[in-house]
Amino acid sequence: MLNITDLHASYGGSLILQGIDLAVKQGEITAIMGRNGMGKTTLMKTIVGLLPAMSGSIQLDGQMITHLKPHRIAERGVGFVPQGREIFGDFTVFENLKLATLRFPRQKRQIPSALFAYFPILEERKNQRAGSFSGGEQQMLAMARALVTHPKLLLLDEPSEGIQPSIVQEIARILRDINQKTGITIVIVEQNVDMILDLADTCAFLEKGRIVDTCPVDTLRKDESLITRYMAV
Amino acid sequence: MNKPISPAISAARSPGLRIRPARIALGVMVIFLLFPLTKNDYWVVNLTQLMVYGIFAMSLSLVWGYGGILCFGHAVYFGMGAYIYTLIVKGMLPGFTGILGTGIMALITAISGVALFAAVIGYFLFYGRLSGPYLGIVTLAMAVIAERIAVDWYYIGGYNGLFSIPPFSIGGYQFIDPLALFYLVLSAAIAVYLLLTHVVKSPFGIILRAIRDNEPRAESFGYNSARHKIITFVIGAAVAALSGVLFAVVTEFVSPTLIGFSLSTEVLIWVALGGKEVILAAFLGALAVRALEAWLSELMAYYWLLFLGIFFVIAVIYFPRGIFGSWLADRYEHRIKGRS
Amino acid sequence: MADLIIQILNGLNFVLVLIMVAMGLMIIFGLMNVINMAHGEFFLLGAYTVVVTNQIGLGFWPALVLAPLAVGLIGMFIEYVCIRHLYQRPLDTILATWGVSLAIKQLIIIFFGPAGLTVSPPLPWMISVAGINYPAYRLFIMTVALIIIAFTFYIFLRTDFGLGARAVIANRDMAATLGIDTRRMYRTTFTFGAALAGLAGAVMAPIMSCDPQMGLGFFIPAFLSILVGGTGTLYGVLAGGAIVGGGDSLFSYHYSPVIAQVVIFSLAIVLIRIRPQGLLGARNNE
Repeated sequence: MLNITDLHASYGGSLILQGIDLAVKQGEITAIMGRNGMGKTTLMKTIVGLLPAMSGSIQLDGQMITHLKPHRIAERGVGFVPQGREIFGDFTVFENLKLATLRFPRQKRQIPSALFAYFPILEERKNQRAGSFSGGEQQMLAMARALVTHPKLLLLDEPSEGIQPSIVQEIARILRDINQKTGITIVIVEQNVDMILDLADTCAFLEKGRIVDTCPVDTLRKDESLITRYMAV
Repeated sequence: MNKPISPAISAARSPGLRIRPARIALGVMVIFLLFPLTKNDYWVVNLTQLMVYGIFAMSLSLVWGYGGILCFGHAVYFGMGAYIYTLIVKGMLPGFTGILGTGIMALITAISGVALFAAVIGYFLFYGRLSGPYLGIVTLAMAVIAERIAVDWYYIGGYNGLFSIPPFSIGGYQFIDPLALFYLVLSAAIAVYLLLTHVVKSPFGIILRAIRDNEPRAESFGYNSARHKIITFVIGAAVAALSGVLFAVVTEFVSPTLIGFSLSTEVLIWVALGGKEVILAAFLGALAVRALEAWLSELMAYYWLLFLGIFFVIAVIYFPRGIFGSWLADRYEHRIKGRS
Repeated sequence: MADLIIQILNGLNFVLVLIMVAMGLMIIFGLMNVINMAHGEFFLLGAYTVVVTNQIGLGFWPALVLAPLAVGLIGMFIEYVCIRHLYQRPLDTILATWGVSLAIKQLIIIFFGPAGLTVSPPLPWMISVAGINYPAYRLFIMTVALIIIAFTFYIFLRTDFGLGARAVIANRDMAATLGIDTRRMYRTTFTFGAALAGLAGAVMAPIMSCDPQMGLGFFIPAFLSILVGGTGTLYGVLAGGAIVGGGDSLFSYHYSPVIAQVVIFSLAIVLIRIRPQGLLGARNNE
């Protein structure tokens, strides 16, 4: 459902993405792995429209989204959980969630109650300042915020970064749960190998601005040589 | 973005032939040196004044174009220089008599006084980490206030300013003849041009540009950006003060308009239209806009400033490097790239 | 004593109008990263709207509605033809809006001449309380300013639009990926800020001499207020406006307007040295 062909993009003056080809299947969880500085975050930002693509194309369900503005891409059903979470620390949890609905007409700006079934803690602390949350709680808020509008594609950039292992497991569990119940397609950039082995269906390896290898996660479970090849420092 | 490469530019790109800008500057200089041969007295006098503005513009080019310091109050230094010089040579500044009251000493005092003032202002602004837009407005406020002080201060002539400034003299020679004044200002212009191009090309200038383009990165390399900016600010102020003094010498009067808002913003336009990132372009910009203004403001009266304002907006949007700047810049840039 | 109270009221008058102007400037800056150098000229245009309605015999009151409307539209137009092209180069917006300010000022000179014009005050009587006589119209100005300030606070702190706007101020990119059309928000904000300045100009016109330079006289203290109070916060503008406007009135009364300007300016610069983010500003611009 997400098809990227020969995508080039630069960041901070240097060409980071040098011809990305990637096909993500409907309803799957795809992990993108690679060492630091290989362009994982740049790829995410280019998909959501925060960085301009210099050439190549990005298609969502057969429609080009390559040169759309970020808010248009969000409208097409792409939810984004950025690296570092970027929640609005001065706002309450409710306000953070509400933000995602602002593009709808006034009467449709509700936060689906089903959402709180996955994240009960957010309902409890609805009126608390988001900045007072722990890293894991902020991560859940960022995920909930991306899911408020029922996107068909969810992008997550390093969701486990700086979060204690027990919460990482919980996040992985929630993601799998949502994926199974709603059929949402998920693309996740991650360095945490255990989390990927636990969660993903397919794994793509990014090196020097290109996707150099793709394989089902089952293969990786049996033979970790690919992981050592692309992830070892 | 890539334009077709003209033979001249590709020549500039090849390492052996990187003398274009110097050659253009030399050409301009020769034209000016020989200009009095035309015997056109009106234009000799006119050009003398235009060159004073040109020197002023060059100083802003350093501060703004190279230092990235958007200064909306640059005329404060120009006007202060002019006022200090005038007060001394008119014997109105207590203590400055005898040798201290001569033209040369007045010139030196004016320049160093202004440089000191700029250093103090710069200390607060740059260690306060003021940048970009903030800096613009704070310097703008400075200009407005300086003008009001000059208008309200009766001793320095108030609204009318000060008149009949005695001629500038060195060792008994008095600069009265228009031709002598022309060459005096021209040699100052050449000296300033050489000084500023030297500053810009020196290691200091390269660090300065690095700070302008990416301050955090330059600082991560260990450069003290505030100190570099202050030094640039002070050099720019000193040169502006020199041009102010020359203005007083050439026109024999000073008034509050020299120190304030309108001249500050005018010089900004000259430099922006000329091209802030090329010192020669800033100089030419000042001359071109002023000459055009002298001609068109008679024709168009009030409409001239309206036209200038609109033209300025268009230039900012479509020619951010200025008219002469776009033409000269490629050459400079390849020089710089060749060096690093 | 009565004299002092009158001075305090006059100071308050200035402070409230200043806050009105500064709020528009701050919102535009916080949201769009654009320092609108033409903001003073929006004030100017508002004042001259009153001049026009007076000249064509409509009197003052229609201008109270016309000024924010007309100036808002002009702001929208300027955003469309000029500022829109420069969002990638925020520093250049200063130059461009400054060119706009020059052109507007010159247009005013072409139509109305460079000299000051006066407008007859619309409520020409005094209100006396406890033996103190105070012009009714000045009380009216204060009321209008208070209402507008409260209205702006309401919009930005209590409505969905305000939530979106504050999100853009806090984190532009994240707001955009959540589906907020930042460009549309910029246009709305710029129009709103311009309308605020226009209204401020209109209410002040009857007690000032309307001349082409009057905008600058409000732009600079408005900007200093933002600098002192801190950007990105409406409360900062309140504090900054109170300090700058109040200080200015106090020193003008005791010494002279020039000394007041020098003192306020020096204080602002020293404060920036000590506290670069302003009194109430916490967020550092990245």
